[in-house]
Amino acid sequence: MEHILSLIVFFPLVAVFFGFIVSKESAKTFGVTVALVEFLLSIVLWIGFDKSNAGFQFVEYVPLISQFGVSYYLGVDGISLFLVILSTFMTLVSLISLNIKKDIKNLVITILFLEMTLVGVFLSLDMILFYIFWELSLIPMLYIIGAWGSGQRIYAAIKFFLYTFAGSALMLVGILYLGYQYYIATGTWSFSIPDWYLLVLPFSTQLWLFGAFFLAFAVKVPMFPFHTWLPYAHGQAPTVGSILLAAVMLKMGTYAFIRFSLPLFPDASVYFLYPVAIIAIIMVIYASMVAYAQEDMKQVIAYSSISHMGIIVLGTFAMNAEGITGAIFLMLSHGIVSGALFMLVGVIYDRRHTKMISEFGGLATIMPRYAAIFGVVMMAAVGLPLTVGFVGEFLSLLGFYRVNWFMTLLAGTGIILGAVYMLVLFKRAFFGKLVKAENKALKDLDKREFTALIPLVALVVVLGVYPKPILNTIDISVKKMIVLMEKKAVLPDTRELLLRVNSVGGTK
Amino acid sequence: MLSPISVSLANLNMALLAPMAILSFGALIVICIDLFNKNLDKSFYVMLTLLFILFDFTALIGLSGSKHGFFNMMLVDGISILAQGIILISSALIIITALSNKPFKEFKKAEYYALFMFMIVGFQFMVATDNLILIFLGLETASLSLYTLIALHNRNKAFEAAIKYFTMGALAAGFFALSSLVFYALTGSVELSVIEKVLSARNYAPGVAILAGVVFMLIALGFKLSVVPTHTWTPDVYEGSSAPLAGYMSVVPKIAGLVIAIRFLDIFLHAHIVWVQDILIFLAVITMFLANITALVQEDVKRMLAFSSIAHAGFVLTALMIGSTQANSAIFLYWILFMFTNIGAFTMLWIARHKKNLWDSRYQHPFTKFSGLVKVSPMMAMIMAVFMFTLAGMPPFSVFWGKLYLISSVVDSGHIVLAVIMVINSAIAVYYYTKLIVYMFLKDPITEDGNIYIANSSTPIKVVVGFSLAFTVLASIFVEPILTMVTQLMQSSGF
Repeated sequence: MEHILSLIVFFPLVAVFFGFIVSKESAKTFGVTVALVEFLLSIVLWIGFDKSNAGFQFVEYVPLISQFGVSYYLGVDGISLFLVILSTFMTLVSLISLNIKKDIKNLVITILFLEMTLVGVFLSLDMILFYIFWELSLIPMLYIIGAWGSGQRIYAAIKFFLYTFAGSALMLVGILYLGYQYYIATGTWSFSIPDWYLLVLPFSTQLWLFGAFFLAFAVKVPMFPFHTWLPYAHGQAPTVGSILLAAVMLKMGTYAFIRFSLPLFPDASVYFLYPVAIIAIIMVIYASMVAYAQEDMKQVIAYSSISHMGIIVLGTFAMNAEGITGAIFLMLSHGIVSGALFMLVGVIYDRRHTKMISEFGGLATIMPRYAAIFGVVMMAAVGLPLTVGFVGEFLSLLGFYRVNWFMTLLAGTGIILGAVYMLVLFKRAFFGKLVKAENKALKDLDKREFTALIPLVALVVVLGVYPKPILNTIDISVKKMIVLMEKKAVLPDTRELLLRVNSVGGTK
Repeated sequence: MLSPISVSLANLNMALLAPMAILSFGALIVICIDLFNKNLDKSFYVMLTLLFILFDFTALIGLSGSKHGFFNMMLVDGISILAQGIILISSALIIITALSNKPFKEFKKAEYYALFMFMIVGFQFMVATDNLILIFLGLETASLSLYTLIALHNRNKAFEAAIKYFTMGALAAGFFALSSLVFYALTGSVELSVIEKVLSARNYAPGVAILAGVVFMLIALGFKLSVVPTHTWTPDVYEGSSAPLAGYMSVVPKIAGLVIAIRFLDIFLHAHIVWVQDILIFLAVITMFLANITALVQEDVKRMLAFSSIAHAGFVLTALMIGSTQANSAIFLYWILFMFTNIGAFTMLWIARHKKNLWDSRYQHPFTKFSGLVKVSPMMAMIMAVFMFTLAGMPPFSVFWGKLYLISSVVDSGHIVLAVIMVINSAIAVYYYTKLIVYMFLKDPITEDGNIYIANSSTPIKVVVGFSLAFTVLASIFVEPILTMVTQLMQSSGF
């Protein structure tokens, strides 16, 4: 278990190089096998993970440029552990569901490369290393959308790439500035996050740095008004691209909020609490309304993603254990649910080559299994109790209730609106009479699709009923982080707010 | 009556001259051999040149510390050794590309190799002195050889490029001479160290004359560094000359120019003369923006790379303005990392060279030429993509580390706004580098015949590309030793 994190990060990369030699016919099997091994590795990590330890575990540290404080620094804690497992799991499932024939080898290699960057983002404890993986993850997604997408694929791919690259440009200045602040304070250069956690910054500095980091993360999440690239990217991306984009890549932004923005700039985070919360509420309500107006199934899910990400951001900025733990759990559940939904849309798109809701109707009679699975996943998407969607959403809103009950109420309407657009989608596509002649010959789910969907549905139910083991592990690391925030706060207001929102739960 | 001058050999410090002497000797030998035997193959000349460059290099790494020689005419300090190293390594890489698959007239001529070596000697002299006259001589030796090398390519475009470069270069030389004149008039010396002493003793007065001297010098150096507004020759000259020479021009004359700029500007930056800084900031910002925005609309990859190299020069110019050890180290780190990548990229174009302009009546390498390259020649597309992402500053490839350290030095000096402008520019730059990648990876191929793209390829050229690629990709490992070495040499020479 010494180097398990390096193994998890670089196993897919090594597989990428070997993948060039594997013949085209075996490429998919090769990809699935590698992803399976990678998933098992992450499970081994979970088994070996010490649940009572809130700090970073399995830490690996090798200085890269010692003079400049850049190091190869990996570690995992309760916050990142499940996001790593989510990445490996979703990559596995998406590779299983893959049925693209064109240039399959390139696609498999690209997906494995993407997996490496995603896992790397969640495991990096050095800011420069984090930035490397953060930027590298754009390249495979650019290729996936641009080469295997539909319609205006190149435009969508470039828009996605430029938007996110430009967004993180300012973060680079922020990183370097923070590194310099550390150098001034201690006399040595360091970009390692645990070192930075100890750095207490004056309020005015925090404000600027928070802004620089916020922009990068907000584009990635994507937060209103930087969300415009997302519907485009989803609209043109192939199914596998949409799954990975929605299930894992968006989580990079919200993860980064929890990992960097809150503990590094506690005062600025509290200072910007209401503006961010307002943006989050706009995301929830506005995106839901737009989702309702969509005619394209995939766009409905794309906008519903934005809406759910709004609740995650809200939970994060609740600044208490319930909210943040709930937000992380919601990241996991949204990853599973949105992945499943995009996969389900992919199933019908493969058969009919259209995603327009009006083209369907009465599918439940001809594809009963498909309708049943869609139904279960949809229930999770609208946050029905006892499904995975409920837990995170409830905890996030509960957490933010301590901050402001009225805003929580507004965000809560998002759940109702969510139910509206999802149920309408379900009704229009699955119920009613089967009128279109083309739909009468549709086949129900085949073996490949079942294999990919069943694990997702099982998780939706199991984690919905019994989320405790995951929540406990997340909670302990989150509490440690909140204590750190409180210690580091330079303004009395910040401390007061942290104590107020955390007092009822008794986290201290 | 004049008293007899006695000079001891030790005072001359012959070792300082050894690197240049070796290469001049090599050039003369090549000419002599040509007198006796005209039918020698280019591989012979290339290997001979390479051998002398290597010989030169070993003489160079024997030097250390700051040493004066030849009555203070020569000054070999840390940055001089570093710059000579960069010049020699890129020269070695570029001369190997002469072993191309397709025959070219110029490579059959012995003069090509003799001129090439004389050019290197010129650049070496340029960086190994703080005497304005010797700098001028080095500059002219190198430039005149380079003009001829370009013209030897024997195409209409090449003649155009050579004459354009020559005219512009002559103008720059004029400005250089004018600036030297002003400083000689002010201080009675052409040595930068003496000029600094005299100027600081009289508190940098009179301001107008110094302004004139600095501006003339910046114009002259601006030509060499291709800084806006003296950049106009760059795209045309790069387009007209053969790809390896274009790559050479984007690296070597600029590092020589940078060394002179560091030496020269140090006089004024140490004295905290604000307007010099202001001029440099203005030039850097305008160079970055103009070059990046113009690069967006280029239709030819080579011209795009020309504008990209202007933008990179602008990037480095920001560090020039700061003048701290970290900033000067950042310049060299950046340039070493940039050197391998850029030479690699231009060599890739050299491989893809075709006799005729198959795809466009005007351009040899239009973007459309590379459409769907990944399906026709996947290896080439991958390598080209790595070079493009590297030039764009994508982590973890080489230029990213240079960019990181450079921006860090700007941030540390307190110029946050400038740092933000730099990252905005690198965000703009990503677009045109990605454009080539989009063409290669996302569009459909226009031809089934992959051999067109590697027509000019040969094993030696592949070695050059492989070497550049390995350095580019594995840069994360090399950055630490390079940075340590650069910083040490920089501190030892007092910059």
